[in-house]
This record gives sequence, structure tokens and C-alpha cells, in this order.
Amino acid sequence: MNGAHDLGGMHGLGPIDPETDEPVFHEEWERRCFAITLATGFLGQWNIDMSRYARERMHPGEYLRTSYYEHWLHGLQTLLVEKGMLTEDEIAARMAELAGEQDS
Amino acid sequence: MKALPAKDVEHTLQNSRGARVDEDVPAKFAVGDRVLTRNFNPVGHTRLPRYARGRHGVIARDHGVFIFPDTHALGEGMKPQHLYSVHFTGQELWGPDASRCNGVCMDLWDDYLDPA
Repeated sequence: MNGAHDLGGMHGLGPIDPETDEPVFHEEWERRCFAITLATGFLGQWNIDMSRYARERMHPGEYLRTSYYEHWLHGLQTLLVEKGMLTEDEIAARMAELAGEQDS
Repeated sequence: MKALPAKDVEHTLQNSRGARVDEDVPAKFAVGDRVLTRNFNPVGHTRLPRYARGRHGVIARDHGVFIFPDTHALGEGMKPQHLYSVHFTGQELWGPDASRCNGVCMDLWDDYLDPA
């Protein structure tokens, strides 16, 4: 699809500036997101091309504003909901629960 | 639904099969052949970038037979076919203002290519 992931030829994004000694994960949640993506992948409900396609379907505006592992998280959520393993309501309820824990 | 037990994780990850398919599928092209990429705009998944559609290139290398991502991403089967490294000049992709020194090699599947 002609999504925001297909960046080739787009101007204005600035130079590619590779980080020296770049760590595999910058934040603990990224490590977790990656692990959950692999673990759920082995449930056999989708293949790697379906997971790429799930990330590509993110809204282009949102895609360009968010980080690499945010794309992974979004794709994972899309697949879990599409395959009937989680509902949007369940995700929203858990998010509210976690937000509550943070506030207290 | 069968989960992967923790004890099998390392072995499974190390022995991942990847996208290569052990199947004898005839190649449509040989190294050195000139090809023209198709111009399409599918709403599904594709690995042919927009800037390389409807462009002339040359087969630089035949990687062998691989799963075709476009059908695989939609659950429409693996459709195994040859995957090539295709060379495009910078000027073919970006026009006469592009440097003559630049070129791009892209991994592209048989279904993206026509003879040129």
C-alpha cells in the first residue's frame, strides 16, 4: 500500500543521523513490546508479512509522528484485535487500570 | 492455540526458516536481463516501493525461491517465486538531475517484473 512507511523520495525529514553505539532498545517497554510481538507470533495466528502490513496500515500522520517500536506496538494491537484475541474494550480497560496504578 | 514454551524459545529462534522456499520454481529472468517494474498501487502489502514502479532495471543476482509477501500478507498463500536483486541507475529513478554515480539494488520478486 502507498503508506507512510514507503518514504523513498520524500523531502524534508532531515539527514539520517546514526547514533554511536546505538542500544538495541532505548526503553524497557520497547524490549517488552518486541518480546510480546515474537511470543504472540508463535501462536500461529499470523505471519511476518501480515505483521508488516499491520504496521503499514497505521494512519500516515500518526506513523510519521511516532517511533519505531510504537509502530510495532500499534501493529501488534491491530493483529490481536483482528484475530479476536483481544477487544478494543479490553485494551482500554487495562490502559485505564494501569493509569490508575500510576496515579496512586 | 499453542503457545511456545520458554524452554523452546532459543532453539526455535535459532532455527527460524526465514522466507526461503525449498521448491523448484522456474525463474522468469537471468542475470543481465533488462526488466521493467510494474506500475500498480495495491491497498494490500507490497515490497515494490512507489519510486521504483514503472522503471527499467537490470537483474544483478538471483537469490533463489522465496515466499511472495504480497499474497502472504493477505493470507492468500505463499506463491513461491524467484527473488532477484535488481539494479536501477539513479537517473532512471530520480531523473536527469541525479548523479551518474548513484544506483540502487532492490530485492524484487518475479511478479513485480516484466521483460524490457
